[in-house]
Amino acid sequence: MHETHKVIGRHASAFEDLYRDEWMDALSRSDDARLLWYLNHAMGSGPAYQVVTITAVADGAAWEALARRMLHGDLSDLASRLDAYRYEVEGKMIAPVYWSALQEVDLTAVPTDGRHHELSVYMQDTGWPDAPLDEYIELWDLDYWQYMREVPEERKLLDITACFQVAHGSGIRPEAILLQKVMNFSTLGGLLTSVEKHDPTTWPGSYMAKGLEVRDQWESKLLRTSSWSPFR
Amino acid sequence: MLFVHEVHKVVGKRAAEFEDAYRSGWMPELARGSDARLLWYFDLAHGSGLAYRVVTVTAVRDGASWARLAERVAGGDLRAWARHLDGLQHESRGRIMIPLEWSPSIGSLDDVPTEPVEHEPTMYMEDTMWPFPGKIGDYIRAAGDVYRRALGAETAQMHMSIELAIQAMPGAGRTPEVTLMQKLSSLPPLIRLLTTDIPPEVTGPGSWMHEALELRDQWRSRLLRAAVWSPLS
Repeated sequence: MHETHKVIGRHASAFEDLYRDEWMDALSRSDDARLLWYLNHAMGSGPAYQVVTITAVADGAAWEALARRMLHGDLSDLASRLDAYRYEVEGKMIAPVYWSALQEVDLTAVPTDGRHHELSVYMQDTGWPDAPLDEYIELWDLDYWQYMREVPEERKLLDITACFQVAHGSGIRPEAILLQKVMNFSTLGGLLTSVEKHDPTTWPGSYMAKGLEVRDQWESKLLRTSSWSPFR
Repeated sequence: MLFVHEVHKVVGKRAAEFEDAYRSGWMPELARGSDARLLWYFDLAHGSGLAYRVVTVTAVRDGASWARLAERVAGGDLRAWARHLDGLQHESRGRIMIPLEWSPSIGSLDDVPTEPVEHEPTMYMEDTMWPFPGKIGDYIRAAGDVYRRALGAETAQMHMSIELAIQAMPGAGRTPEVTLMQKLSSLPPLIRLLTTDIPPEVTGPGSWMHEALELRDQWRSRLLRAAVWSPLS
């Protein structure tokens, strides 16, 4: 369950406290769902006061049970208080694509105690192909994932943690999402400040050139975990 | 019961093929099982908004049924159909919705027609509202207590009935957001609404239009025409 929250700025701390102290704890009382990531959109790289959360649910029935608890059950009061701290939340159900490194999560092993850790930064790429969705996912597999996984650790900018597609009817189709952990901030700085221009039309064989055959629209978000996010 | 509400941005040249994919593909494929049924196939009425927009509403029995349907689309027997549809639409935007407590029922899923039986085209006004932060509960209650009853009154300005009142399931749409699927039973009041100023007694203090401004001031209306073969008219 991938949610993007437009938080009311003056309530940002209270919103995060509710997620850490009440939402994460409430989910831990059953094995149906766990909060995995609590991510702040890095200020200076996009919209202000946006938070991305990813909550894993065991299956469709577990999601429905959770949703009903939020709407009319024991979590409705908490959901109302979260609503009061944000302008809106946009959610979509996402499922791992066939080649995603992340396929299953042992929900019982996900930390729920808010333990602190170093901050991590993720680059979340969301792409919208103009070709059939399957072709885009295959391109990512053959021309991106297979290459990126072989990059030596010392040269690695991104580690592809997971790749998702939107589950039917719960968001945009065609859309797919890469969740990539930034491994080297210096290299990230180089990417952001590089003045080197690669003309994709004269750079044949590259992922960038081939990618234009299936899409030319995507969005990157730089997301920083909170210090207590269960996954980092 | 849950509802998959999708807005499709259709490739204009392929609009007829798109409609056929739903009539001859999606509707009968769903009928082979008991998890889901296509309820409505709507065209956004030309002249009232964006061109080549189609709204479909598919009912699923519950969360587990939806998950099975999603798996069929992503990697099962409906994958080829979905891939074909990718070529007929620029995109679709979906939400999974749950009925409000006071929403009318669409009846049993087992009674939804699965054959394209033709009927007169019907018009719907689909209203989607975005209540202020923290006000969605108050809005839903007020809409049920005041607005729904006002629509049913003999003096109602609009001749329409709420067929389905829904909100997004957490995690599968936008919150706060409420959508009303309202069937028009007479067109002249709609034409009057479109072509004349709204009278003060409808917008003044004490009216729904006035009082509901405490709960929301942003909404969008779509005029939707049900296809003549749409399972529900």
